[in-house]
Amino acid sequence: MKPVAVTLCLFAMVATPLWGQEDTTETRAFVRGGVYDKPYLTQLLGRAALGGYAEFHSRWEREDGINEFSFVAKRFNLFTAARVSDFVRFAAELEFEDGAEEILLEFASIDLTIHRAFAVRAGMLLSPLGRFNLAHDSPLNEFTDRPVTSTDIFGVALSEPGLGALGSIPVGGSGRVTYEAYLVNGFNDGVINNSPDGTRIPEGRRNFEDNNSAPSFVGRVTYSPNLGFELGLSGYTGPYNQFQSEGARLDERRNVNLWVLDFEGSLLGFEFSGEGGFGNVDIPPTLIGTLASDQAGFYLDILRDFGHGWISTMAQSHFSVGARLESVDFNRDIEGDDTRQISLGFNFRPNAESVYKFNYVRGRTTDSFNNAAQFSKLLFSVATYF
Amino acid sequence: MSNYSTAIKKPLPLLALLVVGAAACDTLLTSAPEDADVFDAPVPGLTDAEMVVFLLGDEGFEEAFSPATGVGPIFNDVACGACHSGDGRGRIENALTRFSRGSDPALDEGGPQLQDRAIAGAVPEVLPVGVDVSVRLPPPVFGVGLIEAIPAAAILANADPADADGDGISGRPNWVTPAAWVPHTEVGGGSGPQLGRFSRKAQVSSVLQQSVEAYSQDMGITTDFLPVDNVNPQSGASTLASDLVPDPEVPLATVRAVVDYVRMLAPPAPGEDTPSRLFGSTLFDQIGCQNCHVREFTTGDSRISALANTRVVLYSDLLLHDMGDELADNRPDGMADGREWRTTPLWGLRLVREFLNGDMFLMHDGRASTVEEAILLHGGEATGVRLAFEALSAEDRAALVDFVESR
Repeated sequence: MKPVAVTLCLFAMVATPLWGQEDTTETRAFVRGGVYDKPYLTQLLGRAALGGYAEFHSRWEREDGINEFSFVAKRFNLFTAARVSDFVRFAAELEFEDGAEEILLEFASIDLTIHRAFAVRAGMLLSPLGRFNLAHDSPLNEFTDRPVTSTDIFGVALSEPGLGALGSIPVGGSGRVTYEAYLVNGFNDGVINNSPDGTRIPEGRRNFEDNNSAPSFVGRVTYSPNLGFELGLSGYTGPYNQFQSEGARLDERRNVNLWVLDFEGSLLGFEFSGEGGFGNVDIPPTLIGTLASDQAGFYLDILRDFGHGWISTMAQSHFSVGARLESVDFNRDIEGDDTRQISLGFNFRPNAESVYKFNYVRGRTTDSFNNAAQFSKLLFSVATYF
Repeated sequence: MSNYSTAIKKPLPLLALLVVGAAACDTLLTSAPEDADVFDAPVPGLTDAEMVVFLLGDEGFEEAFSPATGVGPIFNDVACGACHSGDGRGRIENALTRFSRGSDPALDEGGPQLQDRAIAGAVPEVLPVGVDVSVRLPPPVFGVGLIEAIPAAAILANADPADADGDGISGRPNWVTPAAWVPHTEVGGGSGPQLGRFSRKAQVSSVLQQSVEAYSQDMGITTDFLPVDNVNPQSGASTLASDLVPDPEVPLATVRAVVDYVRMLAPPAPGEDTPSRLFGSTLFDQIGCQNCHVREFTTGDSRISALANTRVVLYSDLLLHDMGDELADNRPDGMADGREWRTTPLWGLRLVREFLNGDMFLMHDGRASTVEEAILLHGGEATGVRLAFEALSAEDRAALVDFVESR
C-alpha cells in the first residue's frame, strides 16, 4: 500500500473519535439494504445464518404490436453470513437465476474490521459501482425490472474477485462519509467481443481469473448528512483486453472506464433515488465505427407509500406508487442505438420484506440506423426475503 | 371473509382502472406497423410451413455476429441487418468498396472487396494503390424472390444490345458464371453462363450466391458453401489464427432459412395514387423513363407458390445500360463494363427516408440525396430522357418526382 493511503487510513482512525463525539451512526448499515443489512440477519440465532430471497415474474411484453407472454422463475438466491469473531465477518450469496439456467456465486467475502474507518475485504466482491449494484435485491426495490442503465451499462450485478478496504467516518452528529476501494480482476475482452449488439461492458464480467495480469480499480465514496439521504460517486478503471500474456506484449492496453453518480433522498413524503453515469471503452482502431466507445445513461425513481393499515388483517401492509424515468445511449458517437422508457409501479407490501409489484413500462428504442421501435410491458412480480 | 372483502376494497378500483385502461389502449401498449409500410413483411399467401422458415430466416438475418460467434477475422459489418436498414437499403456509412485491376479481381491483393475492419489479432485490408474502385451501397433485400421468379425469357425480351429499334436504349443481360457450389436446382445455378439478376451490375445470378457471399465477404462468416474464412493477403502473419470459432460458423439450415427469408420478403406497397402522382406517372412514360424502368413483369413457376404467376411492379428491366461518364466506375464486373449499371428497381422509394434517418442515398454510391438529383445524374443511354426531364416545367417535374418517390 502506498504511503499516502497508509497515512490517510491512520488519519481516519485517529480522527474518528474527535469527529464522532456524539456519533449516532454507529448502528447504521454501511449500505442500506446491502450485504449486512438484510432481514435474515436480524433473526440470527447461531453463529451462521441462512436466508435469501425469491422472485417470480409474470411478463407480458409487446414490441411494435407483437406480443410475448411468459412466466419466469426469475431468482432464488441464498444468503449466508457469519460473525466469526468481533473482527471477522463472512457473507455470501448464491444465485439461481431463470430457473437454474444461471448459477452464480454472486458474493462471498471476508471482512476484517480493524476499525469502523478501516476494514479489509477480500473475496468475491460486489463492486461498489453505484448504489444499486450494492443493494439490488428484488424485495427491496419497487420495480420488477432493474434499471437498464444499471444492468446494461454498469453491469449490475457486478461482482468479481478482489481485495481492498472500506470504512465509515462520522461527520457531524448524524452525518458520515463512507468509502470502498478495491483492486479487482476487471473486465475481459467480452466487452467488445461477446455481444451481437456491439460494445456491451457487462459482457466482460465474470473474469474469475485475470486475463491480463493487471488489476482494475473500483471505488465509491458517499456522503450522507443523515439517514435516508446519500450522495455517492463511483469510479472504475482498468484494462479489459489481453494486452500481455506470459511476459509478452500482445496489444495496446485498452481500458474500461466508468463513472457513476448516485443519490437517494426524500422530500414531501416522496422518496427519490437514481443513478447516472458514463462508460468509456478504448476501442481497437480496426473496430472503430463498428463498436461504441462512449455510453451513458441515467434513471430516476420517485416513490410514495400510502395505505398503511388499509388492510386491517395485515397490520404492517401498505401500498406504494412509483415512477421511473430512464434513458440509455449505447453509442454516443451516432444518432440512434438508445433506449428511453418510463415505468409506472403500483405495489402492495403485506410486510416490509415481501412485495407484489404491478408495473407498466412504455418505451422507445432505436437501432443503429435510428429506426425506432415502440414497446410496452405489463409486469406482475412477487418477491420476498426469507 | 367479510373482513377481508371490506379490508381490500380501497385499492381495488385503482388496480382495476390501471388494468382496464392499459388493456384498452393501443397508444399505451403500442401497435404494429402495417405490412405495406415496412420492408420486412412476408409476401401474402405463405403456407404455415413457409412462415416457420420465414421466422427462422428473419432471426438469422438479424443475428449479429461477434468475435465470439465468428465475425471476421476481416469484415465490413457484423449482421445482415447492420447494412440493410429494416431489410431495405443501406446508407453511405455502410457502403462497400469493390476493387479490381481491370477484369482481374485482384484476389492476391484482397479483392474484389475491401474488408476494412478486423477483430483483435487480425489486420484489416487497405486499398491497394492503383486499383479500379467502385463504391456500392447495400441494395434492398426485399423482392428478390419475385425477381428470381421472373422467367429469364421475359427479361431477355427487353434486351436490345445493338439498339436494333434505334431508340437509343440498348439494354443487355449480364451473363455470369455462377459459383461452382451453387446447385443447378437453384435459379441461376448450374454450369455455363447464367442470367445475372442481382446486385448493382447484375453480376450475381442466384439469391443463394448473393447471400452466401455476403456472409463471407461482408461479415467473415463461414458456411458449408464457403467454409474457409477470408484472409488478408496484405498481412504478413496469418489472420486466421485470430478467429478461433469452428467452421462453418453458421449451420446450413440457418443459411437456407435466411436465403428463403429474403426470397419471401414482400416489396412495400406503393403510396396512394393522387392526381399529381397519376399525372407524374403519365409523364414517366411520356419522357421515356419506362424504357429502362419497365413497370412490371409476371413471375413464372416457383416452389414458393406465393411467388408464382404474380405481378411484380418493380420499375426495372433488370438489364445493363450505359449510364454515362458521370456515373461510370470504370470497373468491369462480369460482362458489365465500367459504364454499365443494372436498372435499379424503384419500389420501396417512399419509405427510404423513414428507414435511413431522413436521407435517401440514391444511385449506386449514394451520391444523390433526392430523386431529382438522381435523374439529373443519368447520362449515356439515358441522356435523352434526362434532357426531356429537364425540359419539363417545374410543376411537371415535381409531379414526376412525386410519382417516383411514392413507389
